[in-house]
Amino acid sequence: MQWWCSAQGVAWTWTWRPYVGVWALLLLMTVAYVRIARAAPPAERGPRSPRTWAFGAGAFCLWAALDWPLGALAAGYLASLHMVQFLLVGVIAPALLLLGLPVSAYLRLRTEPRMHAALRALTHPLIAFVLFNLVVAFTHWPAVVDGLMPSQLGSFAIDALWFAGGTVFWWPVVCPVPERPRFTYPLKIGYLILNTVASTAPFAYLTFSSLPVYATYELAPPIEGITKRADQQLAGILMKIGGGLILWTAITALFVRWYREDEARPARLREAG
Amino acid sequence: MHCVLAGRTLPFLFAAAALAGCGRGVEAGGEFRGEVLAEPIPRPDFILTDTSGEPFDFRAETDGHVTLLFFGYTHCPDVCPIHMGNIAAVLGDVGWRVRQEIKVVFVTTDPARDTPARIRSWLDRFDASFIGLRGSPAEVERIQRGMGLAPSVIQPLPEGGPADYLVGHAAQVVAFGADGPARVVYPFGTRQADWAHDLPRLVAVGP
Repeated sequence: MQWWCSAQGVAWTWTWRPYVGVWALLLLMTVAYVRIARAAPPAERGPRSPRTWAFGAGAFCLWAALDWPLGALAAGYLASLHMVQFLLVGVIAPALLLLGLPVSAYLRLRTEPRMHAALRALTHPLIAFVLFNLVVAFTHWPAVVDGLMPSQLGSFAIDALWFAGGTVFWWPVVCPVPERPRFTYPLKIGYLILNTVASTAPFAYLTFSSLPVYATYELAPPIEGITKRADQQLAGILMKIGGGLILWTAITALFVRWYREDEARPARLREAG
Repeated sequence: MHCVLAGRTLPFLFAAAALAGCGRGVEAGGEFRGEVLAEPIPRPDFILTDTSGEPFDFRAETDGHVTLLFFGYTHCPDVCPIHMGNIAAVLGDVGWRVRQEIKVVFVTTDPARDTPARIRSWLDRFDASFIGLRGSPAEVERIQRGMGLAPSVIQPLPEGGPADYLVGHAAQVVAFGADGPARVVYPFGTRQADWAHDLPRLVAVGP
């Protein structure tokens, strides 16, 4: 039995396989979340709270991306699904899980000065941007993918890097506590737009390469209905279009929030004055 | 000569190719990326039946052409479709001049299940010009032994019926030059980049 999905080189079958590492991770995450949520005020917890729903959606994304069948297909058969997995684990899930955390959890971090200082440094927008894009470039480098994907530990390392990179990337945008008052809505929007541009390099590399770049997927037992090259091109397109859609959704949400806050400001000033 | 049996050894081969490959599935062998043989394999002389039911004289029909000969079977879950798919993909890119100099011949190692129609339809998924041949197990074994390849072996599946089995077979594509003998073989792990590098060179060597 495998604890994490990896490239096995055996023909694909639709026979269900358990990946105990994924379940253990999700169980740990859920237990930790329940403990954190217990300390939160009632408005931020319970089944009606948007934060609970955001956490649930984030955990679901992780489970769907890492467990059978998507996890197994992405690890050893299709580069396009590997890209879907990246978008779920490295982009969507971190944003949703951060949105799911109660404000009190962020505030509690301030009581741990060392961790708070480290997080503050790591999640500086410039550093977060560079780190995330370094992680994306490193984890999509053919030598890294082909070297790590055949082992469970290697495959886990790639998933962990994606998730850590995504968390750092979204932190400055999602964190509800005003850690950086000068990182305003226009700057947050600019930060996300800049990232839509940064993904162009790996997109172009995958989409316009005339030969398959990953041995893992080129030499994998074939899946009916898609050639190796089409699979790789689809991976590149998914990275650009799928990633772009996620970022532009976030940009739209930020813009709406910014607009609403701006609209509400005169009323608040009137009440105060 | 070094022979590799596909089948149960594939997961190991796959991991080794992926780990060692890093963009290359085959060790460089001077001019070629395939495995250059110390002793060339003479072009074999045999007649089998093609997918239209006609006798196919291998030596006469492929004379003067670079010929990629592969022994496999259409139910193969991995090595055979990967080799055929990669060769077909690269042949689509090499240009008409190179393309017309190359013949691809697939000999089934599973004649019990591989009917001529099945071989034809399977090969057509890759390239309609690929030649499919069928003979008795004894004939095919004789040809393989003559070329120094390991003969194929039926590997029953533990949970399957009598028609559910794998066939362990030599996993390399043997590349005969237009001048006759084969000097290079392409084991499992050969990538499209390797084929794209070697096919024009194989043609350029000439008769």
